[in-house]
Amino acid sequence: MAVARHLTARAGSLLLTLWLVSILVFWAGQVLPGDVGRVMLGPFADAQAVAELNKRLGADQPVLVQYWHWFSKAIAGDFGDSLAMRAPVAPFVLESMRKSAALAGVILVFLVPLGVGAGVIAGLNAGRLVDRLIVLAGVSLAIVPDFVSGLLLLIVFGLWLSWFPINGVAPDGAGFWTNGYYLILPALPLVLNLAGYIARMTRAGVIEAMAADYTRTAVLKGLDRREVVVRHVLRNALTPTIAVLATQSGFLLGGLVVIEALFGIQGLGNLVLNAAKARDFPMLEAGVLVMAAIFVLSAAVGDVLQALLDPRQRRRVSP
Amino acid sequence: MTKRSDIDFLRNQSGHNHTGDIWNVAVDEYAQGFLKRRDLLKYGALLGLTGFAASQGLFTSGARAATTGGTVRVGLGQPTKAIDPVSVTDPASIGVISQVGEYLILDDPKDGLEPKLALSWEADETAKRWTFKLRPGVKFHDGRTVTAKDVVASFERLVDPASGSSALSAYKGILSKGGAKVVDDETVAFDLDGPNSNFPFYVSSDVYNAVILPADYAGDFEKNFNGTGPFKLESFRPKQGASFVRNTDYWGDKALPDRVEIKFFDDEQAQVLALQAGQLDVIPSTPRLELSIDGNPNFKLLSVQASSHDQVHLRTDQAPFTDKRIRRALALTIDREAVVKGLLKGRAIVGNDTPFAPIFPSADTSVPQRKQDIAEAKRLLAEAGVPNGFQVTLTTERAYDIPDYAVLIQNFAKKAGIDIKLNVLPQDAYYGSATFGSSPWLDSNLGITDFGHRGTPDIFLNATLKSTGAWNAAHFNNPAYDALLLDYSKARDLQAQRVAAGKIQTLLLDETPLIIGYFSQYSRIVSTKVEGVRFTAISHLLLDRVSFV
Repeated sequence: MAVARHLTARAGSLLLTLWLVSILVFWAGQVLPGDVGRVMLGPFADAQAVAELNKRLGADQPVLVQYWHWFSKAIAGDFGDSLAMRAPVAPFVLESMRKSAALAGVILVFLVPLGVGAGVIAGLNAGRLVDRLIVLAGVSLAIVPDFVSGLLLLIVFGLWLSWFPINGVAPDGAGFWTNGYYLILPALPLVLNLAGYIARMTRAGVIEAMAADYTRTAVLKGLDRREVVVRHVLRNALTPTIAVLATQSGFLLGGLVVIEALFGIQGLGNLVLNAAKARDFPMLEAGVLVMAAIFVLSAAVGDVLQALLDPRQRRRVSP
Repeated sequence: MTKRSDIDFLRNQSGHNHTGDIWNVAVDEYAQGFLKRRDLLKYGALLGLTGFAASQGLFTSGARAATTGGTVRVGLGQPTKAIDPVSVTDPASIGVISQVGEYLILDDPKDGLEPKLALSWEADETAKRWTFKLRPGVKFHDGRTVTAKDVVASFERLVDPASGSSALSAYKGILSKGGAKVVDDETVAFDLDGPNSNFPFYVSSDVYNAVILPADYAGDFEKNFNGTGPFKLESFRPKQGASFVRNTDYWGDKALPDRVEIKFFDDEQAQVLALQAGQLDVIPSTPRLELSIDGNPNFKLLSVQASSHDQVHLRTDQAPFTDKRIRRALALTIDREAVVKGLLKGRAIVGNDTPFAPIFPSADTSVPQRKQDIAEAKRLLAEAGVPNGFQVTLTTERAYDIPDYAVLIQNFAKKAGIDIKLNVLPQDAYYGSATFGSSPWLDSNLGITDFGHRGTPDIFLNATLKSTGAWNAAHFNNPAYDALLLDYSKARDLQAQRVAAGKIQTLLLDETPLIIGYFSQYSRIVSTKVEGVRFTAISHLLLDRVSFV
C-alpha cells in the first residue's frame, strides 16, 4: 500500500517537474535574442522574408498561444515538426536517445568493474599504500575535465597510436561489436572521471561493512575471509554504490554535450545544443523534456534500489 | 597563354555592336598587363563572349593528365538545418550542395565567370534585360532534361518571400517576381528592376542559393540531392555525413574521383585531428587550426583572395562621430600592415576604408592608401575640439578574429588619446533582430561586423552605405554618395566604372563612415596527397578534378 502510494506521488511529481521544465524552456526561448525565422535565414536576411517565415511557422503568435499549441499536441504525444530539420521531432529524439544510451552502456561496462573493483581493494586495504594510491588516483582523475582528457585520449590513441578512429561514429550497418569499439574512446574520459567517485563510495561501504557487527560475527563463526567478504561485506557495502550508479546513469543517459561534440556522436547532448543554437523550439522542448525525465526517473530508480537493498531505508519510502 | 593575335581577333569579334567599347577597353588593358585574365573574362562575360572565347582556346589552363579513381574524404562543420539550396546559409551545407548542384555560371576565384548551365549571355542596350542561352542536353540526376522552365522556376522561387529563400536580400532592387521569363526551351530572359551591368554575377555561384533545380522541386532536397553536377548522391545520413559517386551522365568532363565522402564535425579540433590521422583529405581552415599544421609536410594550406572583411562602423549621426575629423582620426590610428601581418598571418590584403577590394577590377587603385599617422590623428582631434581624446564603447561579436581585432584597435586608438571600452557579445546577441532599433550591430555607436565574400562590391555599396541601406550601421546619410553610387551602377564600361569608383573611394576616405582595414583570404587545409581541390571564397567545394598523387 505504502509502495503504491509512494509510486503515485513519484509519478505526480515527475509530471509536475516535466511541466515546469517545459514552461521554463519555452520562456527561455522567448528571452533568447533573435527569432526562429531570423536564425534560419541568417542575420543578413530580408526582413520581409523573416516575417513570412515566422508567420508560416506560427512564431509570430503571442507566446501563450504558441505554448498552448505546443502543449496541447505534446500531451497527445505529438511533439510537432522540427523547424530546422523540417521533419517530425520524435524520430530524431529517439535516435539520439539510442546513441546516448549506447555510449552510456559502454561507459558503464568499463566503469562498474573498474570503480567497484578499485573501491573494494582500497576498502579491504584501508590505510595501506595501495588504498592511498587508489584514492589519490581517483581524485586526480576526477579533476581533469572531460574535454581535456577526451582531447588527450584522441591525440594519444587516435592520432599517435591509431588504435581507434577519431570520429565516434561507426559506418552504416556496423554490427554490435564495431559500434562498441567506436565508442570506447569517447567513453574513457567519463570512465576515468567517475571511477574515482564510484571507488570512494564503494570503499566507504566496504570499510563500514568490515567494521559492522555481522562481519565480526561471521569471522567469529570461523568462515574464511573470502566467504565473509563476498557474502556479508560486499552485499551490504554495495548498497550506496548502486544508488549512486543509478543516479549517475541518469547523467550519462541524459547526453554528454562536450564528449558528443568532440567525437561527433549525435546523442541527446548534441541534439539539445544544436536545437538551442538553431532556435528550433519543438526539438529543444522534446530534447530537454526527455533529459529531464531521464534525470528524474533515474533518481527515482536509485531511491527504490536503495530501499530494496537496505531494509533500514524502507520505512523512509513515503515522501 | 594569350597571344597578341588572339586579342586582335577578339577585338574584331566585338567591333560590330554597341557594346564594343567596353570590350575594347578591356582588351587594351589586358594587352598592357593592367587587367588580369579573370577580369578580362568578366568583361567578356558582359558581352556573352566567354563561351566563345573559351571555345577558341583563349583561356585554357595547362592541365596535366590526371589519374582517375579514389575517394576524396572531406570534413565539414555541422549543417545548422536541413540542407536545401533555397534556404541555405551555412558553409557546411554549401560544401555539400556544391557536389551535386550547379549554377548558370561559376564565379571561379582564379578564372572569373565560367559558363556552366548557361552557354552565353548578353544584355540589351539599357543593361536592364539580360538574355541567357542555356547549355543543351543537360540532365538532372533523375534523368530529366534541364529546360528554360526549370531555370525560370529556380529564380522565381528565390525571389518569392513565401518560399523561405535566403537570397531575397541579394536580389532586392535587382530582380523581382515575374522578372525571369522563358523565351524558348533553351533561352531565358531576365527583366531587371533597374540597369545592372554586373547581373551575370547575380545568377552565378556568388549567390550560392541560385542552384538550378527542377521546376517541380518541393523543398525536399535531402531526399535525393537531385541536381546536375558531376557527382550524384550515394547515401545521406542526417547530422553524420553524406557520400557521392561520379555522375556518369554528366554533361562536361566526368569527375576524376570515384567517390566523395563527407563527414560532419561538431568540433573543430576533432576535425583537425582526423585530418592529421590521415582520415580526411580536405577541411575548412581557421587561423587557429593553421597553427597546428604549420610546417607539417603532409598538409598544404590553399587560399583564394576574397572580398570578405570585418567592417568597423562609426555612427555618423551620434556624438562623438558626427564630426568627420574625429572619424578620420580614429581610422588614422590603425596600423593596417601590422594587423595583416600579426593578426591575419599575412593571409589578407590591406584595405583602404572602402568596400572596393583590390580583387574588384572596377576598384581605382590610384587612390592613395591610408596609413597610420598618429600625429595627424592628434592634430585632427585638436582641430575638432577634443585635444585630449574621448571615451567611446566598441560593441562587437565573439566571432572569428574579431575580438582580437577589437583589442588591437583599442591599443592603436590609445596612442591618440582615444579611450575605447570593449563590449563583446555573442554573435546572435550582436545581430539581434537585425533591424534598426533592436540590434546592437545596427544601433551601436562604434562596432565591428563580419562580412562574407561577394563577387561584386554592389551589395556592400548599397546595403551598408546608401542612406536607405538595410545594413547601414554607420547611419551614413550622404546625398553626394548616393548620387555617385547611381553613376557607378549605370556605368557600362570598365573605364567609366573605375572613374565612378575612384570618386566614391575619395569621398569615403574623406567621410570615413567605415574603417575597412583588410580583406581576408579564404583558406582550406588539404592533404599533400591530393591535387586539384578547388573552392570559392563562399565555401563551395569543387572536387571533380581531384586526383591522388
